[in-house]
Amino acid sequence: MADRTSETPPSATPKPDPDALRGDVVRRARIDASCRGPVMFFVLTAVAWLLIGSLLAIMASVKMHTPEFLSDLEPLTFGRVRTAHLNTVIYGWSSLVGIGVLLWLQARLSRSTLRFHKLLYAVGILWNLAIAAGTWALLFSHFDSVEWLEFPVWTAALLGVGFVGVMVVSLDLFRRRSKHHIFVSQWYLFGAVFWFPILYVLANLMIHLGMATGVAMATANWWFAHNVLGIWFTPIGLAAAYYFIPKVLGRPIHSYYLSLLGFWTLALFYNWAGTHHLIGGPLPVWLTTVGTVASMMMFIPVITVAINHHMTMVGHFEKLRYSPTLRFIVFGAMSYTLVSAQGSLMALRRVNETTHFTHYTVAHAHLGMYAFFTMAMFGAIYYMVPRLLGREWPSATLIRIHFWTTAVGIFIYFTGLSWGGWRQGEMLNHDTVDFLAIVDYLIPYLWSRSLGGTLMTIGHVTLAILLWKMWRGAEEEAQGPAVFKEEPAKTKILPTSDGEEEDS
Amino acid sequence: MNIIYILIWGTWIIFGISVVWALSWAVGQGHMSNVEEAGCSIFDEEEPIGEMTDFFPGEGPDGAVNGGEDAHG
Ligand code: HEM
Ligand code: HEM
Repeated sequence: MADRTSETPPSATPKPDPDALRGDVVRRARIDASCRGPVMFFVLTAVAWLLIGSLLAIMASVKMHTPEFLSDLEPLTFGRVRTAHLNTVIYGWSSLVGIGVLLWLQARLSRSTLRFHKLLYAVGILWNLAIAAGTWALLFSHFDSVEWLEFPVWTAALLGVGFVGVMVVSLDLFRRRSKHHIFVSQWYLFGAVFWFPILYVLANLMIHLGMATGVAMATANWWFAHNVLGIWFTPIGLAAAYYFIPKVLGRPIHSYYLSLLGFWTLALFYNWAGTHHLIGGPLPVWLTTVGTVASMMMFIPVITVAINHHMTMVGHFEKLRYSPTLRFIVFGAMSYTLVSAQGSLMALRRVNETTHFTHYTVAHAHLGMYAFFTMAMFGAIYYMVPRLLGREWPSATLIRIHFWTTAVGIFIYFTGLSWGGWRQGEMLNHDTVDFLAIVDYLIPYLWSRSLGGTLMTIGHVTLAILLWKMWRGAEEEAQGPAVFKEEPAKTKILPTSDGEEEDS
Repeated sequence: MNIIYILIWGTWIIFGISVVWALSWAVGQGHMSNVEEAGCSIFDEEEPIGEMTDFFPGEGPDGAVNGGEDAHG
């Protein structure tokens, strides 16, 4: 490779000697192989939940413009389907894929192999069973209408217990790290791993055990739901972006110092912002004001992340053509800036007056959870899985289809609902406008969401097909002799099936 | 509402303490000095700075990308 960068910092190594080179190859292959089983388990089951969640999403979406659709089946009424969508995509897809990515990233960053496979499988199975049982309860039984905490409390308890396993493994990886340095992604991942369980357990105790009722319950509810976004999903998404953008480009982060500043300010401010979900509600005014102020402060971490990612990419945007990971991750990183800037503005009382109780909020929600988080996770999957399974993706065309259907789909989803939602808010604030006229006005916009959602779902099915082919291929390969070879493309390292390969 | 005040102030304090503790631990361990080096810790001899590590299948670095005319490094 002739093109070493001009900005190669002093610490970059001179021309490697072949033996040392071999050492890096083997070490990385061993780490990836050690992650193979558990990480693939989390990724594959996550994608299964993504498919289920997408199906529920389309049902919910269609019902909003065509209310008679499936309306005579009680389990499939809007309230149930919508809730089941939310919980399957949050705890099923997003959390499971998040744990998979988190484990692999930590193993890579600490340069140590992943241990405790049995524990991790147990956690994975427990989570999947808990989510399945919880979803069943949402559709066929009853649930508490506390958003984001609708699962029965015993389901939540299982999820909480399972999470302890993730904490143990995460600490074990960190303790055995073979590099002194802590890369910025590691900080984000620690934040996620150690804050989430505190949050989840406290919130469930408060709400399900009746410690908080009425306004207090609403406050606890949104303190929780906001923090799930801010200190669980966001750090995982950002950790991925901070690792993959430089790693794929082969270019260090523009300013590592800024990246650290971004992390520590996020850690300080995010937790305070939850009450911005309740602006206009019957809370003491100072409580919502605190939320608004913290939302404004969030401009600091968001701008640092934006500058950093942009400056790392600058001059290299043409490389998006060549790397699937980079495409998805950069799409996600840009959406992160957008969704956060938008969120900070929505936390202003004057803006929230219009947007609250409208589809505008739902558009923001998907800009965050989909365009940012989900796309970043897709990017991570495209990088991880070939290295875990030791084989190339079977089809570049399918990857492109996945990218374009999801990118165009979420674009349609977001623009349609943002525009329609904003007008909806304006009209709702004018008591001269007939309510039914607003309902009619929104129908085309709601159709646009069904269209966007269908495209996105096609993308999800494409991803599932790709993963299925990969998995099948790897299984077949594992039957044959052990493989440890360098691909012609020099991008993939092929470990043996059990991570037991020799340093040969 | 009392419980909420306890919850909110309580977690602010717990989270705040954990952040300050982690930060001072990191400073004490020397993680906040020499940060540019930490920023390069994800590269090594086999995947050095200046080389892309991800491509569409079948479109590896010997094709259009690193060696191509639009290579920036
Ligand atoms: C600085 C960053 C952010 C700020 C200040 C912010 C602000 C807000 C505000 C004010 C709302 C409430 C709207 C209302 O109900 O009237 C909201 C809703 C929401 N935000 Fe954000 N946001 C930010 C980043 C994000 C990110 C990164 C994500 C996703 C990972 C996200 C996902 C959501 C979701 C899912 C909702 C809807 C919650 C619900 O009603 O179920 N936001 N945000
Ligand atoms: C397949 C495409 C998708 C479609 C068509 C879709 C559709 C919907 C619909 C119709 C709702 C109910 C909105 C309402 O109550 O007014 C909703 C809510 C939600 N969806 Fe999706 N969704 C999709 C994918 C996803 C994914 C992949 C995620 C997360 C990773 C997600 C996260 C959420 C969240 C957080 C909410 C609650 C938003 C709020 O209350 O403001 N969605 N979605």
